[in-house]
Amino acid sequence: MAECCPNPEPSTRAPLIEAIGLSVHAAGRPILRDVSLAVHRSQVFGLIGPSGAGKTTLLRSLNRLNDLIPGLRVSGEVTLHGASIYASGTDPNALRARVGMLFQQPVVFPTSIEENVLFGAKRLRHLPRSERPALTEHALREAALWDEVKDRLRTPASALSVGQQQRLCLARVLAVRPEVILMDEPTSALDPRSTQAIEELILRLKAVHTIVIVTHNVAQARRITDWIACVCVRDGAGEVVESACCDAVLGDPQCREVLDYLAQVPA
Amino acid sequence: MRKLTDVGVAIVAGCCALISVGLLVGLVAVIAARGAPALSWSFFTGQIRLVGAAGGIFWNLVGTLILLVTACAACTPLAVGIALLERVWLTGERRRSWLRTALYAMNGLPSVLFGLFGFILFVQWLGWGKSWLAGGLVLALSMLPTVTLALIERLRAIPARYVEAAAAAGLNRAQIVWAVLLPQARGGLITGTLLGLARAAGETAPIMFTATIFAGATFPTAIRDSPVLSLPYHIFILAQDSFDPAVGTRLWGAALVLLGLVFSLSLLALPGRLKQHEEAHG
Repeated sequence: MAECCPNPEPSTRAPLIEAIGLSVHAAGRPILRDVSLAVHRSQVFGLIGPSGAGKTTLLRSLNRLNDLIPGLRVSGEVTLHGASIYASGTDPNALRARVGMLFQQPVVFPTSIEENVLFGAKRLRHLPRSERPALTEHALREAALWDEVKDRLRTPASALSVGQQQRLCLARVLAVRPEVILMDEPTSALDPRSTQAIEELILRLKAVHTIVIVTHNVAQARRITDWIACVCVRDGAGEVVESACCDAVLGDPQCREVLDYLAQVPA
Repeated sequence: MRKLTDVGVAIVAGCCALISVGLLVGLVAVIAARGAPALSWSFFTGQIRLVGAAGGIFWNLVGTLILLVTACAACTPLAVGIALLERVWLTGERRRSWLRTALYAMNGLPSVLFGLFGFILFVQWLGWGKSWLAGGLVLALSMLPTVTLALIERLRAIPARYVEAAAAAGLNRAQIVWAVLLPQARGGLITGTLLGLARAAGETAPIMFTATIFAGATFPTAIRDSPVLSLPYHIFILAQDSFDPAVGTRLWGAALVLLGLVFSLSLLALPGRLKQHEEAHG
C-alpha cells in the first residue's frame, strides 16, 4: 500500500477506530472478508468501490447496526479507542450513541422539526426542558439549517425538502454529540445545492468529529476525504484492496480493481 | 367461450354482492321501520316497567356502556402487550406464527364459550356472582384477538427505516417502543379497539351468565353480586315474549338503539381504517 502522504495524525497515535480481520457472513456466504483499516481522529475517511461490494455492510459493522439483521454473522475485531466493540460487555446502544449515523435516504420522524432534532438527545441523557431550545438551535446551526427553519420549529419535518431533511437528520445526530459520524452515501438522494451544503458541513465538522463516509462519487471523495479505502469484490466477497491517502488512491492507484473502478465512474 | 365465462362470472359475483347488500339494507330497514315508533325522549331516559311493556331503556344503555368501558380498559393494555411481544420481543418467525395462530383460533371461538369460561372463573370460582366487572372482563377477552391482530398489522406496516434510524441513534429496545412504535401504531390501536367494541356491544352470550339481569339493577356500587342491565340481553328476553304488541315495539326500539350504537362505533373507526389502507396501498 502506498504511503505517499503523511497521516493527518502522527502515526504513533493509536487510531480512533480500527478494524482487524473483519469478516461478515450472511447465511454462510461471505460478504466481507478480512477487512483491516484504521481511522484516525478528525479524519474524513472515505469508502469507495463498486455497488454491491459491501461498503454499506462495512460501515454498519462499525456501529453494530448489522446486529439488527438476523442471519448476519460478524467475525474479527473492531475497536473504538482500543476497546473491542464486539466484546460481550459492550452495550451496542451506548456504542451507537458515540458513533452516529446518517443514512442514504433521510429518515425524518413524523413529528415536528424540533422533536426530530431532540429525538435521540432527550432520551439518551437527562435534558431539562429549559435547555432544549438552546440545544435545538445549536444542533441546527451546526447542520447549517437554522436560518431556514428557525421560524417554524414546531411544524412537521416532513414538509422540508429532501436536502433540508438530510441536514435535519445530521442535526439530530449532532445533538447526541457523537465522536464519530458514519455516513452512507449521504448526498446520493440530494440535488447539487444540498450536496454542496452537506460537503461544506463535513469539512467543517471534521474539526471536532471523525467521519467515515461511503460515497459513489469520486469527485466528492476527492473534495472531502483525507484517506480512502477502496472496497472491491474478490472471490465473491468484498475486500479492502487499497487503502491510502486520498490523492494516492485516486491519482495513482496500485490495484487493478481500483483502476477498473475509477475508469468506469465519471470523475 | 372465454368471454361468455367472463360475463357469467361477473353476473354471479354481482348477484352475490346484491344479495349481501340487499340483506343488510333490508335488515336495517325492517329494524328502523319497526323500532322508530318506540323512540322518544322518555324511551332513553325512563326505567324499564311492566316487564318491558312500558318505560324505557335508560339503565340498559348505562349497563352496556359500563360493560364496554370496562372491556376497553382491560383489553387495550393486554392487546398492546401481546402485539409488542409478537413484533419486538419474540425472535424467530416460528414462535410469532404460533402466537398469531392462537389469536386467530381465539377469534373463531363461539362467544358462548367465553361466557361459560367467565361463569366458571369469575362467577363461581372467584365467587363474584353476576358482576359488571366479570362481564367487562369476558367481553375484553372476546375482543382481545380482534384488537391485537389489528395492532400487529399496524406495527408491521411501520417502515423499518424508522426503527433502524432510532437504533442507530443509540435508543434501546424499550425506548424504540415508546418513541417510534407506539406513537405510529396509535391509529391502529384506536381502530382495532373500536371494531372490537362494536362486536362486543352486541354480544349476548358472554354476558348473560356473568353480568347482566333483565330488570332491577341500576348503577353498580361494588364488584360482588353487582349485575347491570344491558341492551342485548334486554332484546334477548323481550324477543321470547314479543306477543304483546307493546313489548314488540319496545323490543324493536331497543334493537334500533343497539344497531345505532354498533354502527356509530364502526363509523368512528372508519377514518383510521381508510388512512391505514391509503398508507399501505398508496
